[in-house]
Amino acid sequence: MTTFITSVISGLGTGAVYGLLAVSFVIIFRATGVLNFAQPGLLIIGVFFCSYFAVTQGLPFYVSVVLAMLVAALVGIVSERVAIRPMVGRPVFAAALVTVGLFTILLIVAFRLFDSAARTINDPWQLEQVCLLASDTGCAIPVYHNTIARFVISMVVLGLLGWWLSRSRIGLAMRATSLDQEAALAQGIDVGRVFSLSWAIGGALAALAGILLAANGSVVQATDALFALVALPALILGGIDSLKGAVVGGLLIGLISSITSTYQPIYAPWLGPNFENVVPYLVMILVLLIRPYGLYGTKEVQRV
Amino acid sequence: MRKPRPISRAVALAAAGALVLAGCTAVDESGDGDTADGTETSATDEIQIGDGVTEEPCPEAVNPDTGCIYLGVLSDLTEGPFAALAVPIVDGQRAYWEQVNADGGIAGYEVDIDTYTRDTKYQAAEHAAAYQQIEPNILALAQTLGTVNTEAILPDMDAADIVGAPASWWSGYAFEENDFGLILENGYSYCTEAIVGLDWFAENHTAPESVAAVGYPGDYGGDSAAGVEKWAEANGIAAENVTVVPTGPNQVTGNQDAVVSAITEADPDVVVLAVGPAENAEIVGKLAAGGFTGRFMGSLPTWNPALLDSAAAPALTALYNHMSIGEQWDGESEGLAAMKETLDAPPPNGGYLIGWLMSYPMHAVLEQAAENGDLTRAGVRAAVPEVEVDYQGMSTNQSYNGNGKDIAVSAIKVFEPNAENPLGVVSLGDFFEGPTWDQVDYDQACVSTS
Repeated sequence: MTTFITSVISGLGTGAVYGLLAVSFVIIFRATGVLNFAQPGLLIIGVFFCSYFAVTQGLPFYVSVVLAMLVAALVGIVSERVAIRPMVGRPVFAAALVTVGLFTILLIVAFRLFDSAARTINDPWQLEQVCLLASDTGCAIPVYHNTIARFVISMVVLGLLGWWLSRSRIGLAMRATSLDQEAALAQGIDVGRVFSLSWAIGGALAALAGILLAANGSVVQATDALFALVALPALILGGIDSLKGAVVGGLLIGLISSITSTYQPIYAPWLGPNFENVVPYLVMILVLLIRPYGLYGTKEVQRV
Repeated sequence: MRKPRPISRAVALAAAGALVLAGCTAVDESGDGDTADGTETSATDEIQIGDGVTEEPCPEAVNPDTGCIYLGVLSDLTEGPFAALAVPIVDGQRAYWEQVNADGGIAGYEVDIDTYTRDTKYQAAEHAAAYQQIEPNILALAQTLGTVNTEAILPDMDAADIVGAPASWWSGYAFEENDFGLILENGYSYCTEAIVGLDWFAENHTAPESVAAVGYPGDYGGDSAAGVEKWAEANGIAAENVTVVPTGPNQVTGNQDAVVSAITEADPDVVVLAVGPAENAEIVGKLAAGGFTGRFMGSLPTWNPALLDSAAAPALTALYNHMSIGEQWDGESEGLAAMKETLDAPPPNGGYLIGWLMSYPMHAVLEQAAENGDLTRAGVRAAVPEVEVDYQGMSTNQSYNGNGKDIAVSAIKVFEPNAENPLGVVSLGDFFEGPTWDQVDYDQACVSTS
């Protein structure tokens, strides 16, 4: 039982970060209709600047996090203005392909910034842990501070974001734009500004997710950008246009992966090593077959 | 196309003089002419050249009177998972060949590895495509990064007689059935590393009664885990005391908590790690924080000096030993001294040293081919079994004439973390060879790559 609880706690920590990432995808998708494959690039650039501010410049960690999120937001705005805005009116598929190119560019920039080195981010949690349940040999259920931080910070940020989007005029404008861009324009909404804002929020959230991932007592490298792509199954599971679905999907995928990694090697070793990395994609395929719009996504109705 | 060697020219002149004195007419040079395979024949005292070698100088030639040998590089230079290591590897190789060129090149030819360097992003398809693109213009491959990627092009390399130096350390390269005798591996394999590393552990710490292997499945972690299992079997460790925990990089798995749980439960005396640096630090740090009392032996790619800036630094310093194919920054060999002269400051990681070191075998083979008077691809291939690579002390000598234990290197260097040293590690003695190596079977690859 203690193994199960440990696995669940670890899964919730990672799942919360998946949720954060999935929401970053959803925000941009709802505003622009484009699935932004450049999120890994925004994630790793955010992590680099957090390391730069916290380690190279010696700023306090939380200040560094905020500054890094602002940098990622700025990169998001510039990317949208330069690469995506000209695609307005073009097929969504073409715009999605542009984000793939953007991903490559941002990743190459990140590799240049990291300059073949691994970096730390000087987070306050390091390898500290609390013991939820002691045992004769030590601790039966240890919980790392960074796991708690991942879950709490992700949930707080997502809660505040959801509250702001549902109550503010900007949030209303974003929802209106996601429903019908032309109608939103007709109502005086600055759709271009909504696009920029969605990319800024998406970039900042991706940066925060990357920072929380990097806060594991170890080092981070440019290749860790690819972590963002693990959020895609969470996105599909929750529903590609649902903020609530993204959070639930992220937590579920985190839990499923963690529990699989704990028990599959014992009870189903014939499935092979690292099967937990496959499970999210199996879930994604299953969801696409049974409920293509996900748990909370909008069911698309097409006239024929 | 042919280019006389200075020594050969002198010998030819002397021979011609002797023949004249003997009343003969002259040296017969009428044997020159094109052959069916596209190379050009020449007098026996001249070097035969073919694809990938020109009489024209290299684009950045030190001496414009020399010819040029073009070597290809297929590596991970921008966005692939090993770019952080591969970029310094290429830098190290470039520095090595610049030094060779500055010293006069190889028999009147300088070596160029820049013109046909391609970024294959650690993707087999990209690797194969880039190979096809550069193959007509190269004599050999100065680097082919990744076992799976290299395997993707090996049949084509075989057809074209292209010899290559791998930036990977799979045990299968010691067998001609896998590498067609084309691969110039440098140092040991991951499998051998684990076997000899555990001997070192038994001799320098305590004879382990339980062991564990943590790594990425396949030619890296899988090869290392197979070595751990071979060592355990040879040393009478019961199967239930051998734990193998496969894992993946953090960008895929999110964290290494499952590994930490599995190792905590198994509680082995020693864990052999074959993961990335970030995963290494997380595993060692978290296990130490949880009260784990065993130790860790880290494979060649597990180390990065930045780990000593992480929260895991105290745990790594106390519990971790690093294994390598050769010297690190604190080495005192002639080869390392030559390498250091090319640098203003220590490199970001050990990649530069690997790049420098892995260039020795290709250099030796090209020198041998030139000495044989045949710098064609077939000539280079034929020279492979003839060489004994002298790494100038950076690593132990190596040859390629045979299979398995006949040619496999079984000497490792072991280090401990030390923040005072550039690259973050300090050597714990000379190259080490253990007793178990002679007891284990090594007649095929320890693990398949598929």
